[in-house]
Amino acid sequence: MIVKVLYFGRLKELSGSSEESVEVRDGARIEDLFAYCSSSRPELRKFRASLVAARNREFAAWDTLLQAGDEVGFLPPVSGG
Amino acid sequence: MTTSHCHDRIELTREVIPSSAMAREVRADEDGAVATFDGCVRNHSHGRSTLYLEYEAYESMALAKMREIAEHLHEHYAIDRVAMVHRLGRLEIGETSVFIAVSSPHRAAAFDACRYAIDTLKKTVPIWKKEFFADGAIWADGEVPPAPAASADAETPAAEPASN
Repeated sequence: MIVKVLYFGRLKELSGSSEESVEVRDGARIEDLFAYCSSSRPELRKFRASLVAARNREFAAWDTLLQAGDEVGFLPPVSGG
Repeated sequence: MTTSHCHDRIELTREVIPSSAMAREVRADEDGAVATFDGCVRNHSHGRSTLYLEYEAYESMALAKMREIAEHLHEHYAIDRVAMVHRLGRLEIGETSVFIAVSSPHRAAAFDACRYAIDTLKKTVPIWKKEFFADGAIWADGEVPPAPAASADAETPAAEPASN
């Protein structure tokens, strides 16, 4: 199944894209998706501890199961205001 | 169940924030107070001179989170109307990056709600600030938003339509 991945802030700069479509296996969780996305971009991995994930515009735990068509954002610490 | 507060104004913009108009628009005849917060671009950060800032957002989620904040205000404070606008893109020193106005019959609720709104926005709304200095740029230190530690996926997910 296909999910959409969004990158923001320094992650967008490091990943070189703001958005990509990724094919994941059934039963994949958000942490599997991050592992896949960072496998080709090792520089993303060192930010993992400070990231939070969002699934369909809501904060989500890393063990959340993905469903086809999900929009997953990897969010660095927020600094609005 | 949430009520729709049709007089609220929750927006992201790439233009100058119309703060005077926002403060005026939240005011109704039953209100005795309007509290506002004007967040503006400071000319220094961590001892360095800032040239300008750039803001970006996960726009759809940021708007959803800002609306949640407004709903929370209506549920927990005796307030009337909320206006909350955050600017994105390049901002110069002294410009307003976020403006919040809250009206209420009495001042305490307006102050408290306005303070809650900006504090929560800074912690939970997916917006990012890049600071530009004479000798480089950095993404501002931010706050890690509270996120669930574990999912509720032990439950059976809702049935999905079979794919073709």
